[in-house]
Amino acid sequence: MKKVSLFAALSLGVGLVALAGGAPAVAKDKVKVGFIGPLTGGVSANGLGGRNSTDLAVRLRNADPKAKYEYELVVLDDECKPNVAVQVATKMAADRSIIAAATHYCSATAIATVDVYHRFNFPVIVWGAVLPDITYRNKYAEIHRVNGTMINQNDANAELITKLGYKTAAVIHDTTDYGKGHNEYFSKAFTKLGGKILGTFGVTADQQDFTAELTQIKSLNPEVVYFGGLTPIGVRIRSQMDKLGIKAVFDGTSGIVSDAFIQGLGPLAEGALAFREGASTEKLPGGKFFMEKYNAQKYDNPPEAYGAFAFAAMNLILDTIEKVGPDRKKVIDDLSKVKDVDSIVGKITFDDHGQNTVAVITKYVVQDGKFVEWEDSEYATGKRKLPGQK
Amino acid sequence: MTVDHDASRRAPLLPGLLTLALATVYLIALLAAENQTWIIVLLVAGTVAVLAAGWFNLLPRISRSFADREDALGVVAIAALCAVAAYFHDDHFVLLLVITVMLYSVATLGLNIQFGYAGVLNFAGASFFGVGAYTSAVLNTHTAVPHLLVLVIGGLLAALIGSLLLLPVLRTRGHYAAVVTIAFALLLKTFLEVNDVLGGPQGLQVPAANILGWSFNNNIEIGGVALSFYLNYFVLGVLLLVGAFVLVRRLERSWIGLNLDALRLDETAASCFGLNIVRWKIVAFVIGNFVIGIAGALFGMVGSFVAPNNYTFADSLILVSVLLLGGIGSPWGVVVATIIVVIVPEKLQTIQEYRFLLYALLVIAVLLYRPEGLLPRPVRRYFPGWRP
Amino acid sequence: MDGWLLAQYVMNGLMLGMVYALVAVGFTLFFGVLDIIKFSHGDVVTVGAFTALACYVGMQAAGVASPTFELIVMVVVSTLAMAFLGILIARYLVMPLRSAPALNTLLITLMLGTVLREAVRLFYPQGANPKPFPALLPKGAIDFGGFLLRLDNVIMLAAGVLVIVGLQLLLNRTKLGLAIRAVAQDEETARTMGVNFTAIVLITFAIGSGLAAVAGVMNGLYYNEINFSIGLYLGVIGFSAAIIGGLGSIYGAILGGFMFAALQTIGTVMPFASAYKDVFAFAVVIAIMAWRPTGLIQEKISERV
Repeated sequence: MKKVSLFAALSLGVGLVALAGGAPAVAKDKVKVGFIGPLTGGVSANGLGGRNSTDLAVRLRNADPKAKYEYELVVLDDECKPNVAVQVATKMAADRSIIAAATHYCSATAIATVDVYHRFNFPVIVWGAVLPDITYRNKYAEIHRVNGTMINQNDANAELITKLGYKTAAVIHDTTDYGKGHNEYFSKAFTKLGGKILGTFGVTADQQDFTAELTQIKSLNPEVVYFGGLTPIGVRIRSQMDKLGIKAVFDGTSGIVSDAFIQGLGPLAEGALAFREGASTEKLPGGKFFMEKYNAQKYDNPPEAYGAFAFAAMNLILDTIEKVGPDRKKVIDDLSKVKDVDSIVGKITFDDHGQNTVAVITKYVVQDGKFVEWEDSEYATGKRKLPGQK
Repeated sequence: MTVDHDASRRAPLLPGLLTLALATVYLIALLAAENQTWIIVLLVAGTVAVLAAGWFNLLPRISRSFADREDALGVVAIAALCAVAAYFHDDHFVLLLVITVMLYSVATLGLNIQFGYAGVLNFAGASFFGVGAYTSAVLNTHTAVPHLLVLVIGGLLAALIGSLLLLPVLRTRGHYAAVVTIAFALLLKTFLEVNDVLGGPQGLQVPAANILGWSFNNNIEIGGVALSFYLNYFVLGVLLLVGAFVLVRRLERSWIGLNLDALRLDETAASCFGLNIVRWKIVAFVIGNFVIGIAGALFGMVGSFVAPNNYTFADSLILVSVLLLGGIGSPWGVVVATIIVVIVPEKLQTIQEYRFLLYALLVIAVLLYRPEGLLPRPVRRYFPGWRP
Repeated sequence: MDGWLLAQYVMNGLMLGMVYALVAVGFTLFFGVLDIIKFSHGDVVTVGAFTALACYVGMQAAGVASPTFELIVMVVVSTLAMAFLGILIARYLVMPLRSAPALNTLLITLMLGTVLREAVRLFYPQGANPKPFPALLPKGAIDFGGFLLRLDNVIMLAAGVLVIVGLQLLLNRTKLGLAIRAVAQDEETARTMGVNFTAIVLITFAIGSGLAAVAGVMNGLYYNEINFSIGLYLGVIGFSAAIIGGLGSIYGAILGGFMFAALQTIGTVMPFASAYKDVFAFAVVIAIMAWRPTGLIQEKISERV
């Protein structure tokens, strides 16, 4: 008897102490903002880069004495899976204390969650997903995006490869809306410029073995293999292409612009093409400032391709909250009026669907283990040649 | 032999009532807690309380009270559930958790009929749950079928698809039977993933339930108090849970349940006694899938989203483990186990990443040291009130 | 379809089949000896592959340069490590549950598989990401146009065949093999004949898990990549393959493994989308179970009433 009641008393005591010790004294009001991205799984490098960038924005703001509120960042992991994304989005949006969030790198997750945010009237700014439908399928006042869409990317892609003299291509894309979107826009752009798509193959986002599809592609003998999908299967496809002896150009999208792609392939990555809307981080208007502050924090992971956009998105959110206060409706109203607002990625203007226009498309080619801009590369000058380049 | 219905020999209501009241308060506290330390304290206190009750030999008294006064305690339990919902009337996420617990319990009750009573292995429980969910997605989007009917159709479709597996399930025993349902679980997930008509890996959005013109996805306002729209689904969920619970109990006590028990314990002996093994296995399998399908259809509408990744083999395993954890064949055990499995990982954010690992370790521990589960099903009592 | 393309498909099928067969043989060994299905076998493959990778990373750090040496060390270390793991699993998780209903063992091994998988994902540095696996086999290849005959594939196939033949010899020509077969056939009689039951069970688990390690390394070499979920997929396929072939029969397991690979390859060649290949393969498995409830090579059971 004594043992039990002593234990119970101890538990109660611990509980009381925890309660008492849990409430620190605050000077400013606390406001919660959110971040959702793929923190685990094949594209986690991008997610972690985005998270760190968002965290940087919050830290810098908290260090600013002129800020009206103290901000707390709530981070959730969508694992780049639509069903998990819907769960965490519901969790975040249902929590009334979180005012707004910077969300999603994976298009598959972003498109799945738009209805959730709309239902709970939760303002979000997308920082990395490129599928146009995210902002254009519905006219939801809650959804905004600072990075560009994949349409321009694929136009530039088709342009470059036709300019290099390639006429035939085979398309491999993943079966999420992201891959399907890339397939649609690339095929349209390429055929408009006179190219011929020899075959289109849909694969699952976590597929291991591509020998079946690649054997068929080998028999079709295309000059270019276009890949619409993300880094994990991009790595697998490229290495299995080599195993089967396919000597076509590997042409990818913003989904493979990631250090993980190069790490996974080593020397095989050489000569792969990729495209991305927005300039490289160093060439952005606020790029140097961003990189300086980012490196000063000594994060474990680099910002990756979209870190700067995540930073800009969170800054915009924080600015808006400072202006109108921590109220979701007011934030939504104010975000709809964003026009020519300065940020590290340039001027941001949201059109009537909440989409920012990003005009610049950067073309990359992998050279010596790094993503080098096409114009600066030895492939453009002709010192090196892509397979089959005339 | 006369059956002794002497009311004075029935166990008192009080132990069961007290337990339910305490449990409700505990649950409300746990759901409301936000601070991680406080949550851990609560969980420890809860475990200590249960162990202490065992130490003081209170558990047999409580279980007898539940067994004898089940109907009354059932009503009290429903009232307790409503109390929990009323307390959290505007907290979307907690209500969503509660609804998830209820619907998973219903699905596991269906699994209970198949495995707990008839001994038919089903490792594709989540797949049938998914069939129900996809049914509600497709029917709600493309047709004007009234949504209550959609629930029933979801159940029927799950039962129908389950009957595709009947031949292999009936002809196989033991491990071979296991492989049939496992193969089916994988098959269905892959099929849903590659099939574009059903949305592929991107899944499908499910329009809100709309019954008799009352849209389920709009927040309700009663006299200035804003209520979460999840309360609509909560009401439906409670009805479903009560229905499933009553079905399972009545089934267990009826002659059908008797046949199923005989079938599970020893097939050869049962068939010697003239029981048609094939017929009863089919009945159990089909009814079980029907229940699972209905739960899935409602869950699809609650979550407004269905995707193949929600209904994988791993999720089926979770359902089977819940059944095992709670005690095979015990409906109350199923509910308690579901509460533990769904709510604890959500609350303990610090262990979110580790939840599958801890969860699997927990099941292994239960299997090694207490294979009957938390609230094991007692030996069947053929004469109510009979004492040996 | 020209001959070389067909040859390419056959080659793909053979490679897949070899890996599946190795996993399936493990399942069948465990079943034969203890009448249990050890579901965590697939995840032991994953752990074996990651052990080999860790070995490689360690050797690289230590400055070892020769690929052949690295490969041999990796195979040896992971095989021994997995054998040890297999013994631990048998001793502490499987043997205590021998008197419990079969479902409990099934579930405990399924859960164990989850534990292994999650442990790799959480505790191996960045385990959730796919990891490149070094290509340590010689890189030569002969290109026949539609068919690329790679030297490393040939070596792997040959190695797989050697392992299986070695296992057959072990089981049929050695005293240890005799003891294993005796225990598989009838536990009690084997004990009366003086066979140390526990020791044999542990050794069988060690052998099976060692095979898993080899399968894991092969998988890594073939795809040049490993990730924490390869085991789940391989485990289910290996299990299905063992079942198709009939549990308890080594030939059946090998047959089942190659059959499953053949089904998948045929599924990709069929006119309808190759994406359905898994659906096709699993549907055939279910159909076979309906037709022959105890697998293609019938188990000799008689139920006496």
